[in-house]
Amino acid sequence: MAKKDNIPNDEVKNAAELDDAVVTQDAAVDADLPQESAAEAKPSAGQKIKDWFVSLWDKIKSAFVSERKNEQLALPRELVEKIPPEMLLTDVKLTKKEKVVRFLRSQSGWLFVLPAVLLMCIFTFYPIINAFVSAFKENYNATTHRFDGWGFENFKRVIMSDTGTGGASFVQCLVNTLVFTLVSVPLSTLLALLISVALNSIKPLQKAYQTVLFLPYLTNSLAMGAVFATFFTIIGTSRHVDTYGIVNIMLGWFGVEPIDWVGIGSPTWELGAITIPWAKYVVAIVYEVWSGLPFKILILFSALQSVNKQYYDAAKIDGASRSTVLWKVTAPLISPMISYLLVTGIMGGMKQYSAIVGLFGDQMGFNYDMGTMVGYIYSYIENGKTGYAFAGSVLLFIVIMIITLINTQISKKRVTY
Amino acid sequence: MKENKVTPNEMKQEQILQEKARSAEKMHAYAAANSDLNVEKELKRQRVARVIRNIISYAFLTLCAFFAFLPFYWMIISSLKTETEYRASSPTFFPTEFKWANYAAVLQQTSSSGAGFWRMLLNTLVVGIFSTSLGVIVTIVTAYALARMKFSGKNILFAIMLGTMMIPGEMFTITNYITVADLHWNDTYTVLILPFLVSIYYVYLLRNNFMQIPNSLYQAAKVDGLSDFGYLVKVMVPLTAPTLVSITLLKFIGTWNSYIWPRLVNNEEWQMITNWVTNGFSDTSGALYGGQYPLSEPLTTLRMAAVCMVSLPLFILFIFCRKYIMHGVSKSGTKG
Repeated sequence: MAKKDNIPNDEVKNAAELDDAVVTQDAAVDADLPQESAAEAKPSAGQKIKDWFVSLWDKIKSAFVSERKNEQLALPRELVEKIPPEMLLTDVKLTKKEKVVRFLRSQSGWLFVLPAVLLMCIFTFYPIINAFVSAFKENYNATTHRFDGWGFENFKRVIMSDTGTGGASFVQCLVNTLVFTLVSVPLSTLLALLISVALNSIKPLQKAYQTVLFLPYLTNSLAMGAVFATFFTIIGTSRHVDTYGIVNIMLGWFGVEPIDWVGIGSPTWELGAITIPWAKYVVAIVYEVWSGLPFKILILFSALQSVNKQYYDAAKIDGASRSTVLWKVTAPLISPMISYLLVTGIMGGMKQYSAIVGLFGDQMGFNYDMGTMVGYIYSYIENGKTGYAFAGSVLLFIVIMIITLINTQISKKRVTY
Repeated sequence: MKENKVTPNEMKQEQILQEKARSAEKMHAYAAANSDLNVEKELKRQRVARVIRNIISYAFLTLCAFFAFLPFYWMIISSLKTETEYRASSPTFFPTEFKWANYAAVLQQTSSSGAGFWRMLLNTLVVGIFSTSLGVIVTIVTAYALARMKFSGKNILFAIMLGTMMIPGEMFTITNYITVADLHWNDTYTVLILPFLVSIYYVYLLRNNFMQIPNSLYQAAKVDGLSDFGYLVKVMVPLTAPTLVSITLLKFIGTWNSYIWPRLVNNEEWQMITNWVTNGFSDTSGALYGGQYPLSEPLTTLRMAAVCMVSLPLFILFIFCRKYIMHGVSKSGTKG
């Protein structure tokens, strides 16, 4: 420790020495200069006369100039135009044309953002406005752009699930999405926290474990959904079953009867207008947890590594148990990251779509019983009832806004910064 | 060694620690004297507990790593099994016979419109290369203007751009779907490239990166007579190269995984590699199993072969660019 402290001291000393050296050198230079110039400029008689005339000319000139008080050094016009306006000290009188040119020059940044702004106007800004407007058009036809007037008919029908046959039910999709999200996101965050704490406590092989645990991040959710479906699928007919699938076989060891996890005969609970296909929920949640873990581990692990070790030493001396340290020290310290993960996880979960298609196929289960909010919107784009799609997207936006509001309120109270 | 070199703060901490240690010793001595607690034994017990905790940590991590890896393993071995072995009532964890013909069959299979694997791969590569390169260029130029240049309305523009990040993308998709139909852009590459060229998130990320470069560098470059564009190309881009590599990789991966939009606007011939995976793959010609399985019945082993082929490039990319990908992903954690 003492050695460490010595280093800056030495440096300071060195620096001081250096400074001294510089000063002496400077002094030497200062001392040298006049002598040199004196030696060099030993003026001849002709030179003296020339100098005298020059100084006289300067005096005469300055006399004239001082009379015209506002005179400035006049730069050529084309040079003035190039100088950025904020660098000009004076109020140069410009012609109208020059003013325009200078304004355009100062706005050259727009030229840089032009491609992005143009694209966003067509594919982002206009669609947002259009979605809010078109949601109120009744019987909107996407190809002919005809509609029967304005009103809340779309919203009414979407919420009442009165959209005709062949489409998903909004309430069902909303319930599905909320259940997937609100179960899988906290679950995977908790699991990620435990894994990162374990990862943080080991030394050898840490990097290897980290890499393997990050692998699921870089996957195609549709493809991996298909793989997860194979874990649960029962292959065969009602008379003859080829295989019950790996999950059912493992559950069989504990005496559980085979369950049709992803097929048409999947068990459900009926709750009024909506059905709860709980077996499919389990499959979807298992997949969501698996695919959500890598990102959360990456974030929490790097957050843990930046926590000051002294907190742990202090806790150790105070005799805190491991679980106390985890919940009273570690969790509050990285709570901003946990809150960030919960917020982004819930946002992402509300937009879940392709994993469900991978698991349960294009129809999102049996007749959209596993539909999500986004799946709902797409199902109505595809069958041409665009009005319902617009209304659905506006409702999705409102739901996301409500969740964001709740999130910010909770994290204000809970997060220790 | 030299106590006077220690800063007051450190001395205070040192004192606290020493006091704590002293009181701990006192406590130990007291406990040893007044009960039948054996300090040596207790220390040993705690050491054993630590070893057990480590074992538990490793066991837990190994279990998690196993489950993280299991789907990939299952995918690979399933793609190499014969369908008969795959359907056996007790699953095998290693194929008894490698059926490479699965891959050949999947590669040859074409849909009714004649679009097969190679066509989809070509589509994906063309769209991937164009949308990634153009997207990165647009992102760089936009982020630069937002970070460094002065023009009126800049802050409002940036605020609006960030505001759109809050809005679910599906809201754009419906109108875009109608727009491209009106423009007769269906079944082209343009429709796959243009609408998602600008990613506000990457603009934001890169802008923050540009902002971290000291302004004095900009002034120095200006003095040296470099134009704004020259400064961007010769100074900013080399300095932010790691972030740019991350953005390029993530953008390409995004194109590779895109599924919804291509399916919505294009027919099969113009769709992407991920759309191809959702096909039902069956023994159409009867060459694989000689008609044992109905020609229309989708075979899981073939599907797994297709899934493997789509996932493999991502793996290769991950192995070679692990640093950049993880950097890019974790950036979103601290900046997002």
